[in-house]
Amino acid sequence: MTDRLQLLESVLEAVSVGAVVLDGDGRIVLWNRWMSRHSGCASHKAVGTDLFELMPELRGGRVQAAVTQALRNNFSSLLSQTLNRSPFPLYASPAAETRGERMQQAVAITPLTLADSGRHCLIQLTDVSMAAGREKLLREQTELLRMQTFSDGLTGIANRRAFDVAIDREVRRAKRSGSMVSLLMIDIDSFKPYNDHYGHQQGDQCLIQVSSALQALLQRSVDMLARYGGEEFAVILPDNDPQQALQIARTLHERIVRLALPHEYTCGPDKQITVSIGVATLAADRHGDVAALIGAADHALYAAKRQGRNRIVVAPPELL
Amino acid sequence: MVELSELEHDALVEIFNIGVGQAAAAMSGIVGEEVTMSVPSITFLSRMEAAQLLEDAHRRGGNGQPGGERICGVSQHYEGAFQTEAILMFPEDKSLEIVRLMVGESVPLAELSEMEQEAMSEIGNIILNSCVGTLANIFQHELHGSLPVYQVGSSDEILDATGSRAETVVMMLHIDFILEKHQIHGYVAFILDVTALHDLKEQIDRYLARAMGQH
Repeated sequence: MTDRLQLLESVLEAVSVGAVVLDGDGRIVLWNRWMSRHSGCASHKAVGTDLFELMPELRGGRVQAAVTQALRNNFSSLLSQTLNRSPFPLYASPAAETRGERMQQAVAITPLTLADSGRHCLIQLTDVSMAAGREKLLREQTELLRMQTFSDGLTGIANRRAFDVAIDREVRRAKRSGSMVSLLMIDIDSFKPYNDHYGHQQGDQCLIQVSSALQALLQRSVDMLARYGGEEFAVILPDNDPQQALQIARTLHERIVRLALPHEYTCGPDKQITVSIGVATLAADRHGDVAALIGAADHALYAAKRQGRNRIVVAPPELL
Repeated sequence: MVELSELEHDALVEIFNIGVGQAAAAMSGIVGEEVTMSVPSITFLSRMEAAQLLEDAHRRGGNGQPGGERICGVSQHYEGAFQTEAILMFPEDKSLEIVRLMVGESVPLAELSEMEQEAMSEIGNIILNSCVGTLANIFQHELHGSLPVYQVGSSDEILDATGSRAETVVMMLHIDFILEKHQIHGYVAFILDVTALHDLKEQIDRYLARAMGQH
């Protein structure tokens, strides 16, 4: 019997899993060597103290709720790294502790019913840093591949597919954080006659020059220029209010005028490439969705076309 | 099969709505935005009918060929006053959606990754513990709950994985899960043997008697 107890004890000390047992009042009755090593708190200090006094940050969180579930309701709980972000202050090494880099952890909390001393609970902690790291790498690689399938072959800027993903993400982000997002729809004026008269190769050159001129003016990394369709471009401007969006639209419009690409067959008086721009903003207090935002910007763009091209029109806020 | 009266059925729906309400509150706390959950209805089915229901629901979702759809299940075993295997089930693509909404933006992979499976298990754990917890409290009985187990497979495989055989009844909760305006429909199945079902009916009646007595 003693041999068996000794065996169990040495196993518990040797396993590469954190094991903590709490009694019915939340006092630590077992704290294995893995816990001592990664928490920096020796077993003789830990045993006898209240877990939530030893690690006050666990109070009021999911760990305490799970301990209560186990002690009071006899239920087991699982806390994943993904949803809980390293609840216990545990470190892989003293160096990691200095860097403030917590071990990524999965936590399982299960009730233990001991015949003589009532309900206890077992907390098991596993280091999932390896799996988390592997997935991070996998996601980065996937992201890289995705970037490649998300760029426009001709101009190198984001393609329509990338735009669809980005606009969805930015609208969601704006709603979550109570901020706003603006969208510009930009169309090259009289592009069909340009293609017809100068040929498709020069048409392609024109698209490349216009897109790179536009791209060069977008300085924030969060702004996105995408080729929306044929000669139509879209610019997503996160956290920009209508005034800021209009200012950027003016700068972009002006830049294309200064490019001074000759266009003999345009309907405009200046015989050069110009653009029309529709501007729309989804304000924080509006209920509009992605489709409404695109619809409003599109609507403004067509208004600009109808009013004679080579101009900027801002969508009225009530469209959203 | 045991028939529940309308009153018993409504009481059960109410009990589970309290349960998923608590689960939704816990999940709101995790993601920092509103999560709502409700149980619109409960049906009692045979094991075969339950599998059929899941298949049909899946097909209505317009996913691939009949029989080829995969269900993602998180199951837990409960025992005490009565024994049951509780399984939270979503079509696989819906489980991807839930995890991604809960975790926030991330690169979508074709299947739930290891870390995402663990997150899904935690979501299942919260929902199942809340449902069974409310039930246990109201019935004034304690049940011991195991850790969650994550599985992916056909509805047959998921229901079979619990090891329960033909002599069982499935109490199927329809669950609506709303996060970020996305409404996701899922199921919680409680696999009960016939005696457990009788016990359940008795407990509901006792609960109703107590509730009526208070008036």
